[in-house]
Amino acid sequence: MKTKWYLFLLTIMAISIVTYTYISNKDQKPLNIGIIMIGDSRYEKLIGLKKGMQELGYDDRSIKYSVKSGKDQEKTLASHIDDLINEKPALIVALGGIETLKLKEIMESQNIKIPVVFAGVAAPKEMGLIEDYRSPGGLFTGINNYHTSLSGKRLEIFHNLVPSISRFHILYDEEIKVSKLSLENVGAAAERLSLEIISWNVSDSNNFFSEMKNDIQANDAILVMPGFKLESLSKEIAQFSKENHIPVMGLYENETEDGILASYGTSYFDQGYQSARFVSSIIQGNSPADIPVEMPDNIRFIVNQKVKSELGIELNKDIIHLAELIHLNAEGKSQ
Amino acid sequence: MMKSIIHWLHSQPMRVKVLVFGIIMSTIPLLLISYYYYSNVKPDLEARIISKQELMLKNLTGEIEWEFNQIFQQAQFYSSIREKEDRRTIFYDLLLKNSSIEEVVITNESGKVEEKVSRYELNIPDTNERWFSDEMWVAFRSEDRIYGKVEFNQFGQPVMKIAVVYLENGSRNAVGITIQLQKIIGQISSLKQDNLSYIYLLDREGKVIAHQDYRRLWHQIPDVDNKEMLGVREKLTDLGWTIIMEQPKTTAYEPINEMFMKGLMVAVFVTLIVSLISIYAGLYFTAPIIVLDKEMRKLKAGYVVSPIILNRNDELGQLSQSFNEMSQELHEKSLRLKQEKERLDIVVNGIGAGLALVTKNFQVTWMNPLLEGWINKEEIKLPCYTLIGGMTTPCENCPITCPERNENADTIMRMQKGKREERLFRHRVFPLTHAIKGEGEYLLFIEDVTEEKQMEEKMIQTDKLSALGLMASSFAHEVNNPLATIHVYAEDLIERLEQSDDALDEDEMALYLRKIKENTDRCKRITENLLKFSRKSNWNVSHFDIKETIQNSISLVEYSLKKKKILLDVSIQKEMPCMVGDSIKLMQVLVNLINNSIDAINQEGTVSISAVQQNRRFVFKISDNGCGIPDQDMQKIFDPFFTTKPVGKGTGLGLSVCYGIVEEFGGTIMVESRIGKGTTVIVSIPAETRFKEDKQ
Repeated sequence: MKTKWYLFLLTIMAISIVTYTYISNKDQKPLNIGIIMIGDSRYEKLIGLKKGMQELGYDDRSIKYSVKSGKDQEKTLASHIDDLINEKPALIVALGGIETLKLKEIMESQNIKIPVVFAGVAAPKEMGLIEDYRSPGGLFTGINNYHTSLSGKRLEIFHNLVPSISRFHILYDEEIKVSKLSLENVGAAAERLSLEIISWNVSDSNNFFSEMKNDIQANDAILVMPGFKLESLSKEIAQFSKENHIPVMGLYENETEDGILASYGTSYFDQGYQSARFVSSIIQGNSPADIPVEMPDNIRFIVNQKVKSELGIELNKDIIHLAELIHLNAEGKSQ
Repeated sequence: MMKSIIHWLHSQPMRVKVLVFGIIMSTIPLLLISYYYYSNVKPDLEARIISKQELMLKNLTGEIEWEFNQIFQQAQFYSSIREKEDRRTIFYDLLLKNSSIEEVVITNESGKVEEKVSRYELNIPDTNERWFSDEMWVAFRSEDRIYGKVEFNQFGQPVMKIAVVYLENGSRNAVGITIQLQKIIGQISSLKQDNLSYIYLLDREGKVIAHQDYRRLWHQIPDVDNKEMLGVREKLTDLGWTIIMEQPKTTAYEPINEMFMKGLMVAVFVTLIVSLISIYAGLYFTAPIIVLDKEMRKLKAGYVVSPIILNRNDELGQLSQSFNEMSQELHEKSLRLKQEKERLDIVVNGIGAGLALVTKNFQVTWMNPLLEGWINKEEIKLPCYTLIGGMTTPCENCPITCPERNENADTIMRMQKGKREERLFRHRVFPLTHAIKGEGEYLLFIEDVTEEKQMEEKMIQTDKLSALGLMASSFAHEVNNPLATIHVYAEDLIERLEQSDDALDEDEMALYLRKIKENTDRCKRITENLLKFSRKSNWNVSHFDIKETIQNSISLVEYSLKKKKILLDVSIQKEMPCMVGDSIKLMQVLVNLINNSIDAINQEGTVSISAVQQNRRFVFKISDNGCGIPDQDMQKIFDPFFTTKPVGKGTGLGLSVCYGIVEEFGGTIMVESRIGKGTTVIVSIPAETRFKEDKQ
């Protein structure tokens, strides 16, 4: 009789546990979001993405991020992408143009269908990532960070900021399509604005700084085009600027923080933050093919006052109203 | 349907009923509670959803309206500044403060861009660049605030133009601002919503400009009240936009549906548990019952059952114990019953009497073998009175027809056995108190009394002959006296005739002859009386005169009385009615009793005979003052062959025969005697005699 009772109670307990587990775990699986970035320099985008997701109502229990970083090595990026794809995430957020292009290449070769949000790509249509801005039509959508189209505007703003500049040295990367497109855009703007530009391909020579140094004249300035190599050279460019008393304009706030005079473009954080909207829309069932590619919500014009002082140049007081002023030296220390 | 279910349930074993009961008792309350909450929570949930949606839309509309108002106010403020040099600075400031502004322009009265500050484009206006759309241009002429349509820029981004008109030098100029809508749209589109609710924004033409389902973007939404949706809408008055929040009712009610489903799951779970408990309980309660039933069937089939051992102290334990005791007792009683039956069979079969069970309808349902041997088996379906008595109607005093009489109908019946042999049967009917209806409520007890009756007849005849033998000398003396008288008269007459006596005239001769005739008659009467008494006969029922019977009886013993000089005192009630019965048999009783009285008197005694009618009975009293009967002999006086008389004086059958005859009359005989004082015998016979023997 005792054995019967024992078996009876054991059966009831087992059924209770199974049923309770089934009921309580029904909707508890977190969504896996894959993140791919070329290097830790894009980490600000990831922070922005997480912040944006939090503000849209996604907490850590509902979202799981699988982050893969190429450690600024383009060659290893493919393997990281493979690792990420093997994890079968619900969608992938590519934190830059180079990552997005590589991801597209691999996905197409392996016929993988995972929605992708690019958190800031210059000229995605021209790069072949989307068919149309309003209807991307494929697996990719995200933010056109406008850095290509914005290149001409940056030339104008730079000229307005420092009206004394007579020649602009344009740093671009011949191997990066975006960089080349941006150079074309700058060329067109220079023509409209009647400004002289000199282009320098950073991938052409390892010693372009010394070559450029030999060509620098008074009232010259440097305008940096988009491209991850150029982004990674921001400190060297800042150092060059300081050494040669030549004002430089970049794209990102971190470049001004590194010692460049000014930057005009969308920030990494903002791009990540804005991409959260795309992630949310896809999670809610939208196809990336239907979600229009967006321009940046914010274009920031940042001027480093400290650098301006170091360069000893005068800035246009009108345009300075558009700028956010910071006071950091080349080491990034506030003064 | 319900009836068939109930019928099915009734036909199920108890364990199934316990299971069904358990399931019903566990699920119905849960389902009722779940349904109650489901029906009550639903409207409350609906109201909460609507309230939440309204709150959210108010916040969103507030934010959008606030942003547009801010831009307008700033634009109005900046339009008031006349210095052209300051304008660019201020416009840069405007772009800095509001990230949604794409460009700010100043248009002249022709609507052409005079000055431009752009966030993305070069600040160089195109030649003769017209900034206003056609609609805006119409509004430009009459309104101070102008709202454009939602358009798309070259990058496919939704933008909207607004303008604030101001007068400068008498001409209508405007500050135009292009606003990027992607932030507003993105904010609405990407807002995380629970339960598949969604928000969308319609422009003034009813086109969707923001929707969480991007496939719906830029499509026209029909203005139809969808009953399948729970939703609210807020109008942005100035912009003419409408913001709508909707949620399909199916998803809105999902929490309570889920709750209901969970309730159902709990109900299923509870049902499962209760089913297990019910099955266990059913088996716990019914297993002993099944064992009991099995043993009961064995018991019913007559097998010896083994005791049921249940280690429980509840009612079932007590029941099993009671069953064990009962089966043991039943076993013992069965054994006793078998013994009793065996004895009864022996008795029934060996009793020498026929037994039968008879219903109230006189149908014979059972007979013992002896009775079966007496009657024809083919006639067994006949009523008992026909079967046994050969009658067409029930017996007159049968307890079946007259249960109030409380008698056994102790009746002698004649039954033809074979072609010639007729047998006498005494049958008695006993009502059975515990009879089963239809199986025979009465027991017939039938005895073959043919030999007994023949013996009785022989005894009576023997007794009669014995009495005649004893009275033979008396008869001789009785006859001798008239014969002597006749002889004297005849001799005298002959002598006188031979002597030719003249005195012998006719008168005297007639006297002689009359005397001879009188004495001859007397002789004749004596001999006739004697013959009548001695005749062997069955019961001859007739109406007879009691007085005459008494006189006839006395005539037979007259000589004995005279011989012993015994005084005879006869007292017969006047106007005694005739009696029904056999007068010879009554005469035999009286003769026997008078003879006994004569024998009890040595010399000169008195014998009294009286006959009266009392209470519808004839009471005959014969008393003497003889020697009386000793007490020790009183018990035996009616026994056959018991006599205290010397050998040759009596057979010992007298009183026994008297007893038998009086009993046949349905009467009683009682003897009172005192030694030395005498004996009185009282015979009481009912006036309406029912004879035991069938006289037909």
